[in-house]
Amino acid sequence: MVLSAKNFVADPQFVIPCIIAPFIFTMVSLFFIVSSSSNNVGASALLAAVLGGGLMGVWGTTVYGSANSIGFDRWNGTMEATLAAPSPLIWIVLGRVLWNTFIGVINGFIVLGIGMTWFRVGVGLLNPGLFVLATILTYVSMSSFGLMLSTVYVLSRKGGFIENSMEIPVYIATGTSFAVALLPFYALPISFIIGPTWGIEAIKRAAVGTAYAYGPLLPTGYWTDIAFMLVATLAYFALSFILFQRVETIAKKNGTIEEY
Amino acid sequence: MQVVEEPESAKSREEFAIEVRDLRREYVTRSFFGKSSKVTEALAGVTFDVKKGELFGLIGPNGAGKTTTIKILTTLLTPTSGRAFVMGLDVNRQIYEIRKRIGIVFGGERGLYNRVTAVENMKYFSDLYGVDPGISRKRIPELIHLVGLEGRENDKVEKYSRGMKQRLHIAKALVNDPELVFLDEPTIGLDPAGARDIREMIREMEKWGKTILLTTHYMFEADELCRRIAVISKGKIVALDTPSGLKKLVKDISVVELQTYGATESFVEKLKSLNDVIRVVADLDSERQFVKIQTPNAADVLTKVTQVADGVKIIDKSIKEPTLEDAYLRLVEE
Repeated sequence: MVLSAKNFVADPQFVIPCIIAPFIFTMVSLFFIVSSSSNNVGASALLAAVLGGGLMGVWGTTVYGSANSIGFDRWNGTMEATLAAPSPLIWIVLGRVLWNTFIGVINGFIVLGIGMTWFRVGVGLLNPGLFVLATILTYVSMSSFGLMLSTVYVLSRKGGFIENSMEIPVYIATGTSFAVALLPFYALPISFIIGPTWGIEAIKRAAVGTAYAYGPLLPTGYWTDIAFMLVATLAYFALSFILFQRVETIAKKNGTIEEY
Repeated sequence: MQVVEEPESAKSREEFAIEVRDLRREYVTRSFFGKSSKVTEALAGVTFDVKKGELFGLIGPNGAGKTTTIKILTTLLTPTSGRAFVMGLDVNRQIYEIRKRIGIVFGGERGLYNRVTAVENMKYFSDLYGVDPGISRKRIPELIHLVGLEGRENDKVEKYSRGMKQRLHIAKALVNDPELVFLDEPTIGLDPAGARDIREMIREMEKWGKTILLTTHYMFEADELCRRIAVISKGKIVALDTPSGLKKLVKDISVVELQTYGATESFVEKLKSLNDVIRVVADLDSERQFVKIQTPNAADVLTKVTQVADGVKIIDKSIKEPTLEDAYLRLVEE
């Protein structure tokens, strides 16, 4: 995690995709959200929109950074040296994923701060304690999702396609940009199996108290959201453990570890 | 040539740092849609042992299987068949136990984090190898001193020369105080002074009692450093002996060495066509050309050389004893 941080600070090429690009993307989306709302948009809806924008920033960084964590080692020629160490690869990657998600959270707060200032949204959170709890658990959930995605890069240098293709669909599927209930019915199962979808809902509920994502489809409520998210997160971690063992075995069998 | 027997007893596990038995590895390349595939045999049944504390060389041409062997022994690649043990541990099953006890130096510039300092690289790999922080705080400066990077250890690695990076590779490989060190072409691309420094470090490691498996393209390096050498060609061990034992394989020949000016391919072809010439190795790229002729009848060939010179100026000519390179060329070209 510390090395990831130092590499990040030392290398401007990380700053652009991890901070600047998500920030610009988020601000544009925020303008969309706010301008498409009615002129009588309420303070709570605006806060929810700004929160959604901030979470887009977190998510963009998580997806980019996590999927790229192993890709960076491939490109840098350190993949073999890292894999040759006796520490299981999953723990090495987890440290990096936690760092990337942390950067995402910082980015999210910057977007949130600017959004609140720009759109003159009040800071009045409905329940600050639950908001902090939901934010921390969503951070963990996003990290677990990122960890699972990074296994693709262990398998092949072509893992970048996941990184590139996941970002925008996940923005939509998790409800950061608009409510999940607006998605077509057949797309909803995808949203429901993504842990951060529930976390984002819990964050919004704690901030503005609005339960508007799923409507009558599923039981709703802050603790229900948290419970669903925890189940999904545990499943991601379990799956990551299995996948990391499997993909390392396959990569060693196929001889693709040193490819870059 | 020494014959490798089949020692798989507990006693042999204590004696040997590496035991390799009939190791095979195939690479399968599939077409884009996976319909057709091409199988390349990188190792075709390799068998050898390395004793504990031995400095063992593995030499062979590009694509012979040296790096594939090292990757299997360092648990980075799965063999297609055969068995291999490192410090008595199975490379297929006891992966993490093996990794704790070995160090690896990859040739070239890859394998380091360039945007951070040498010390930060060392700390990172210390952590990955589970070295106690108290030990690594003491060991890292010692290793930095050993490889001569004192004063530059807090510079970013991207500012290092190739030689400095290679020295850092060696320090990094020793960060867990391994019993066995794999050196995969550690002097490749280095200037003569840098390569000499690395060779000194290798000798130092041998004095500490480390087992070392060295691969190199430089025959004089293998001759100078290694106690025993395995020559690998087309995925098979074609000879395994001490450097002097390998040189005995070509004791029936002498080497005529020429320094020329204006030598071309046609001159080399003429030399090859002379009676009693076994092999001609020529470096024609520089202003002065160096030509080596292997022959059982050096005096006769030396006389004939001037007859076929035809405009090529022979600056110097001499008869030498065959070197490890001559033995190597005979082995890999047979």
